[in-house]
Amino acid sequence: MMPMNMIEKILARASGRESVAPGDVVVANVDTELLHDLSGYITARVFENEVKRPMRYPDRVALVFDHHFSPPNEERARILEINRNFAKKHGARLYDCGSGNIHHVGVRKGMIRPGTVVVGSDSHTPVHGALGCFAAGLGNNSHAGTVMPFGKAWFMTPHTVKVELFGDNRRKAVPRDVALWLTGRIGEGGAVYKALHFTGEYIRNLDVWDRWLFPLITIDVGGKCGFIDPDEKTVRFVQTMTDQTFEPLYSDPDCVYESVISCDISDIEPQVAASPTLGNVKPVGGFAGRPVQWAELGGHGGGRIEDMRQAAEILKGRHIYPGVKFNVVPSSREVFAEAVAEGLVGTLFDAGCTWFPPSAGSNQAINMGAMAETEAMISTQARNFPGRNGSPKAVMYLASAYTVAASALKGCVADPREYL
Amino acid sequence: MVIKDRVLEVYPDNVSAELIAHTRYITALTPQILGDAAMLAVDPDFHAKLKNGGVMAAGWNFGCNSSREWAPAALYHSGVKLLIARSFARIFYRSAINIGLVIMECPNITEWVKRGDELETDVATGAIRNITAGVSGKGTVLPESLLRIMTAGGLMEVLKAESGKK
Repeated sequence: MMPMNMIEKILARASGRESVAPGDVVVANVDTELLHDLSGYITARVFENEVKRPMRYPDRVALVFDHHFSPPNEERARILEINRNFAKKHGARLYDCGSGNIHHVGVRKGMIRPGTVVVGSDSHTPVHGALGCFAAGLGNNSHAGTVMPFGKAWFMTPHTVKVELFGDNRRKAVPRDVALWLTGRIGEGGAVYKALHFTGEYIRNLDVWDRWLFPLITIDVGGKCGFIDPDEKTVRFVQTMTDQTFEPLYSDPDCVYESVISCDISDIEPQVAASPTLGNVKPVGGFAGRPVQWAELGGHGGGRIEDMRQAAEILKGRHIYPGVKFNVVPSSREVFAEAVAEGLVGTLFDAGCTWFPPSAGSNQAINMGAMAETEAMISTQARNFPGRNGSPKAVMYLASAYTVAASALKGCVADPREYL
Repeated sequence: MVIKDRVLEVYPDNVSAELIAHTRYITALTPQILGDAAMLAVDPDFHAKLKNGGVMAAGWNFGCNSSREWAPAALYHSGVKLLIARSFARIFYRSAINIGLVIMECPNITEWVKRGDELETDVATGAIRNITAGVSGKGTVLPESLLRIMTAGGLMEVLKAESGKK
């Protein structure tokens, strides 16, 4: 039998086949389906009005309200109520306003286990490849038409690109910097339809929440899924989240790649990606001095305890620049509890930061993070496209928590290394 | 399925789903509003051009970034008959098939079609004939199972037809 990589093995097992190869279309059993509040109600409408069948495995389906930590107006309240009633009617899991970011909630609630198939309405769903899943984003009709009634979805098996990272960074770049840099290195649309296998000593040495930042970039380089083979760290991590058993799958050592991207990350500097696209990424010096009025730790690229720790390291005993608003958004209630226990809530508050409820933060400016055309923000968010945060002329800079904190101190994009 | 119509415009690489169906319109509750909003952030003249042709051509990675099904849905409801791109972003690709928006990949399409050209495209064979310029090309043919979903008008139509049979 041909050697297979991890996701090929997962797709084969989930579709009852001995093996799959790139290009094969399979109908696979889905273990977890994550829907968010911006499109859950549309999926619900298709399911109720057109599919009209019972939900086959309601416990595998979660609705997570992460774009709204609270509805800002009546229309949004109505949309959330439709989502909520849908979950209750079918017995699906409901994680209401204040639960946290959809992907973090999925992990924290034990829904993400190595060796499983995870689908979601959010385009960053491939992030769960960090825990050894086959994870991909789908549209509403797939969710409503095949996953909810039958627990299945069709997938075309992708070709896989190996992304091998090695080296010891000498320039104080953190994993978020390396991930931003890698987005530029692969390029927007550089991996359309592909699976990305993140590997190499750099990845292996990272903890799980830092590995998380790599499959996260998959969608914005055009990929279908990204993954990291599970190891002891992954297994121990998932066991702290759930009692459910799981069977990880591992890539064969001689599995075949369509191509290989091999990078020495030793000399990567802290990075910033400025609007209009993620591909517009440069070492921080390239944007240093550009004014920012807003700073945020939150969104798919942030809101982790690691981010709060980085910001506190720089901000402890200091105060942010006059006129800068620095919003801190935990990715889950668990992260907020950790921040309380570690004293980070007080440290960041004293530095002038404002704590927000666990959520996706200013992602698409649903109930925070809109900007006027003259304003700019630096954040750990995942995207910087025009109009995503208010005016299409407003600018979003994406960076690590270190760089966000240093920039909030100076009132402009700033190199964090002078504080480290 | 053979589609004979004019090219309304040739769009560039990396047109984002966020711009095809802008965030401002994604709470649109009717197909009409969504269709009217299609492509406005990319090309304000889109709807005027659509009167002269129903075929869109585009570069690499069309529909990238956001997963929003509103993007193919907006094009579908705007009245686009066929969308040919050098490549598609995969969620867009999948959602387009699932809602019955007729799409085709052709890796060099932007090199030999321009606005106003009349094309005759056979989705089942991949044959694309540029009648105006007198040249032909070949698009990628979908696997049969997916072609069936797309040409039947989408996944829901297939599922309804199948459950009707049982």
